[in-house]
Amino acid sequence: MSEEMKKQEIYERYIASTHHIGRILTIITLVLLLGAPFVIGAYLGAMPNMAAFGKAMLAIGIIYLISGIVEYLIYVPMLGAGGSYLAFITGNLINMKIPCAMNAKDIVGAKSGTPENEIISTLSIATSSLVTIIVLALGVMLMIPLQPVLQSPALQPAFENVVPALFGAMACKYYKGNFKVAVITLFVMTLLFTLVPSLTGSTSFMIIPSGAIAIGLALLQHLKEKEAKA
Amino acid sequence: MEILSRLNSPVMYIICGSIVLFVAIVCIVFAVRAYRAGKAIGMDVAKMKRTIIASATFAVLPSVGILLGVIALSGSLGTPWPWLRLSVIGALHYETQVAEAAAEQTGLTSLSASQMTPEAFSTIALVMSTCIMWGMVLAFFHCKTYTKKLSKPAERDAGQETKEDSAAGQETAEAGPEKPTKKKKLDLSGFGDKAMTAMFIGLVSAYIGSYIGSLISGEGIFTFKGSAIPLAVAIVGAAAMALFQYLRNRFKAEWLDSFSIAGSMLCAMTAAIFLARIL
Repeated sequence: MSEEMKKQEIYERYIASTHHIGRILTIITLVLLLGAPFVIGAYLGAMPNMAAFGKAMLAIGIIYLISGIVEYLIYVPMLGAGGSYLAFITGNLINMKIPCAMNAKDIVGAKSGTPENEIISTLSIATSSLVTIIVLALGVMLMIPLQPVLQSPALQPAFENVVPALFGAMACKYYKGNFKVAVITLFVMTLLFTLVPSLTGSTSFMIIPSGAIAIGLALLQHLKEKEAKA
Repeated sequence: MEILSRLNSPVMYIICGSIVLFVAIVCIVFAVRAYRAGKAIGMDVAKMKRTIIASATFAVLPSVGILLGVIALSGSLGTPWPWLRLSVIGALHYETQVAEAAAEQTGLTSLSASQMTPEAFSTIALVMSTCIMWGMVLAFFHCKTYTKKLSKPAERDAGQETKEDSAAGQETAEAGPEKPTKKKKLDLSGFGDKAMTAMFIGLVSAYIGSYIGSLISGEGIFTFKGSAIPLAVAIVGAAAMALFQYLRNRFKAEWLDSFSIAGSMLCAMTAAIFLARIL
């Protein structure tokens, strides 16, 4: 057997075992993550309300199901097998794992789909995940003495407005470059919430028509652009 | 705030910390296996070491940004749960949106510690865990088949396409090489990315529309007596984000991207403390 064939065999064995181990570790992580709310519920003396869970999943779960599928289809070719299992377990894909893996790939000059890329991507994602875990663990340890300050009534307006703070920042990010789609969608939603104020109690359900309007407008715009180019 | 002390109790740290520890071990297992395999197939060890160093240094700043996210969520969900979510699987913007939607369904008017109940918390935690698990579920069932398809030459080309063309690439990778079609089809190539952005525009617009609607009609249609704080906070958040983007472009400081969302949120949350006194 030539040296090259030997290497190929080692690599194929590595990939097969990566899928095997990746699947096992993924299912264990899933069980741990889905089990944690029940363990916490037992500790707090109140299990999750399944009716509210179902409604929330219906309202927002669909969006994350779609984005989860799209992200999966896009990122797996970039990350390879080992990198994909690890990246989906450790999260923070767009803001860290993908750019980090791409950066590492560029530095060593690895090409997509090659064994080299598979190894580099896994090493990169594992390292960056460990760094995040360490930084967060250190930060959380430092935060423990600050708990009384963080819970002081003076700071409560800040924590009660986490969501508006996030959506403001995201609006700036996503509205930029998509002005028409954003303005029309925002106008329609504002009109609805103004004329039917009781809808504010079910804002998460309103994400569905709002998303449908925005996607519809984006599709029209996309087709127009394609037509103009043709 | 009794609930917050329970959410920050040692038991919560043990539950969440043990999962974080497990995931850290998973990372080490994958790293060691990849390093050994790399050596065995004759890869340059110096390249692998360079990858480790480059990735570690690359990850420091975004990790600090993620830590700011833990701080932002700690006031409403305690520290251990956001620590777990942001160490494993999650991302700040996902977690906050999902937690807010779940809070609404449990009867809270907002994601706030002052209204939090044990049942609401465990429900929110379950929704957060379930909503963002699809990548893992798909990897479990489909990663082997998908990567096998991608490694075939024709499909691999599709995998190497740019993100913009990914929607078309996915079709090719799933369905095999493109066949000429007789019927004229809508040209949707490159729409995948736009659709994702549009979906988030829809999500953001629903919430901002609700803040404007609450201000105008919260206390009766067109009375303009509703609370202006959420809208004002959102505006400060948007302004802070615009500033981050300006500075990033002006000084070519790409590292600022790691802080833009968490930093904008913290600016807006700080503003909320003052706005609550004025408005």
